[in-house]
Amino acid sequence: MRRLAALAIAVAMIAAACGGSAPGGTGTGTGTGDQSALAPGKDVKPAAKITWWHAMGGVNGEALNKIVNQFNASQSAIKVETVFQGGYDDLLSKLNTALASNAAPALVQVYDIGQRYMYDSGQVVPMQAFIDRDKFSTADFEPAVINYYKYQDKLQSMPWNASSSIFYYNKDAFGEVGLDPVKPPVTFTEITEAAKKLTKKDANGQTVRYGFGPSIYGWFFEQLLATSGSLYADNGNGRDDRATKVVYNNAAGKAILDWWKAGIDGGYFYNPGIDNAGATTAFQSGKTAMYLESSAALRGNINTAKFQVGTGLFARPDSRPKDGGNIIGGASLYIMKSRPVEEQQAAWEFVKYAMTPAVQAQWQSDTGYYAIVKAAYSEAPAKEWATKYPQFQTPVDQIRNSPQNRMTNGAVLGVFAQARARTQKMIESVLLGQATSQQALDAAAAEVNDAIDKYNKANK
Amino acid sequence: MTAVVQGQARRPLSLRKLGSYILLVVVSIVVAFPLLLALAYSFMSESEIATFPPPVLPMHPSFDNYGKVVGTIPIVRYLLNSLIVSTAVVIGQLITASLAAYAFSFLVFRGRQLLFFVFLSTLMIPWEATIIPNYMTVRSLGWLDTYQGLAVPFLATAFGTFLLRQAFLQIPRELWDAARIDGSTTFRFLREVVIPLARPALGTVAIYGFLSTYNQYFWPLLITNETLMRTTQVGIAQLRFEESTRWGLVMAGVIMVAVPTLALLVLGQRQLIRGLTAGAVKG
Repeated sequence: MRRLAALAIAVAMIAAACGGSAPGGTGTGTGTGDQSALAPGKDVKPAAKITWWHAMGGVNGEALNKIVNQFNASQSAIKVETVFQGGYDDLLSKLNTALASNAAPALVQVYDIGQRYMYDSGQVVPMQAFIDRDKFSTADFEPAVINYYKYQDKLQSMPWNASSSIFYYNKDAFGEVGLDPVKPPVTFTEITEAAKKLTKKDANGQTVRYGFGPSIYGWFFEQLLATSGSLYADNGNGRDDRATKVVYNNAAGKAILDWWKAGIDGGYFYNPGIDNAGATTAFQSGKTAMYLESSAALRGNINTAKFQVGTGLFARPDSRPKDGGNIIGGASLYIMKSRPVEEQQAAWEFVKYAMTPAVQAQWQSDTGYYAIVKAAYSEAPAKEWATKYPQFQTPVDQIRNSPQNRMTNGAVLGVFAQARARTQKMIESVLLGQATSQQALDAAAAEVNDAIDKYNKANK
Repeated sequence: MTAVVQGQARRPLSLRKLGSYILLVVVSIVVAFPLLLALAYSFMSESEIATFPPPVLPMHPSFDNYGKVVGTIPIVRYLLNSLIVSTAVVIGQLITASLAAYAFSFLVFRGRQLLFFVFLSTLMIPWEATIIPNYMTVRSLGWLDTYQGLAVPFLATAFGTFLLRQAFLQIPRELWDAARIDGSTTFRFLREVVIPLARPALGTVAIYGFLSTYNQYFWPLLITNETLMRTTQVGIAQLRFEESTRWGLVMAGVIMVAVPTLALLVLGQRQLIRGLTAGAVKG
């Protein structure tokens, strides 16, 4: 996987260096004005057939095809065909190759951190153009989700599968050691204290249960920075203007790593490595009593674990900064400029359908991603889901309660996949004692800044 | 022609030999462990996998995961596609590599050495660098979503040519002279003398070509969009989720996909080992 990610970046750079941008630059107006001119005319007849590339395997893929089949059956003018293109990284690599020879589809699903790359490719019709043209209302959308996909306050793509990272804990273990099973720890110190109590050793001194065991995942570091109320990159996390450097080698970044490292050294945090699936398995099997993971893992955890699974607010510093909050994750839908206007029009018709409350509610209950449209929560499937998995309210509340600012909007970087991989190495080097927190932060920042420089030079 | 006589007289098992057998058994268990674990997981339910300490053997083995794989992806079609493409590549590579190696070892022509080094130097070009040009070529030929698109870019192999050339050079030059005196054409010499004598090396090229084609992921993903034209490795990816992975399901898929390659390895093992060491020592 990692090799493919690197490949994606390499291909991205080649494509960018070869001058991938279409006439008209990035296709986005710089002002605050109406973008409807970028969309095809309102009277353009939608194409009879469009293709949608997605990265949803397994059950999520089935849920996605269900929606498409319903759309195709609901009307006779447009037929949407879906094509599974591997994971997010694979899909982006394939898109890059296809764009070079004009073989891209009308609609593509691209992960959260591919945002800046898609924007720089100049191959996207901004979603805002259609929204402005049709006066399509996004008033009922979750602000945290919609803000994530905006650049200079223009929506580039339509959010599709949204998730949020939350705190999971083993309620049975909490009861066993005398912790309150309905009041999970939230701050760094609270988690450390709970972890000390939850850690259990056998007669030989071997640890049979660790208190806390999050995977070394760059996404969590980004989330922890956001809950600390700190920026990841300059220029308003790359949202007011192109980011020129990362800024996480600050006090907030150091506090996160120091806390994590102290837990590992104390023997009450478990280090599963750079391995999300491994961390989930450790939690489900009871090897760890608390951990961090995406809300999309909720259903799997509840159905697999043999104990009561509790969910809580994502970890944050003891000071609980007021402007700190959580960033969303997931992926969004882009309409590609390289296709004829009729196809763009058809893609937009489908996107509108996908955003209806009924479809959103169904998507949520089939996958565990949360609905983007608030009205969806009063639809029957969403209500049933909420009764079955009351823990699901946690990520929804968490996102709704996050203050909306540049820190919680999350960073946008052209080289995000690379930057994330580098922060993972950084965390690992600290946990393994190969570097101090500050050394590791500075080394990672220097390397990522270098990559940002190169990327920015290639994408002026 | 002299036939190589294999096999030794049986002797009673000495203590030293027993020790080395035990060592070999231990090492082979270690080496095979990932595969055995995959096999065990494929018979376990998700909650059984997620227990601590991790289980090694399924307590309640079931074929559920296999049923789910068949229900989720058209695995039989994927297997068929992979077999067709891999077989085509093997046949193509054997033909092109043996012809080229024959030229580089037996025929004498101006610039042979230089040409051979140019040929070898293509080994140094990373495959990733050729993806985009290859993709554009295949696309302009209208070969997306076709078997020829999957197979044709891999029909020639520098590694295979090199391997076969080394094997051909082992064949005594006297045979060539004798055949020429008897009036054999160059092609007939290749067909009737060189090919039969180089069977182990040809087997190696075939197995290597088969496995590397069978295990391809990115190229088939890139040039196919139709579900029915995809191959096994792309199918396995379809069993994965972005946010959580069902190991039992994935492992069942992996086992189903691994069976043909394992069968090939078992059948061709002798050829493979003999082929890879051919020319390693002069003798």
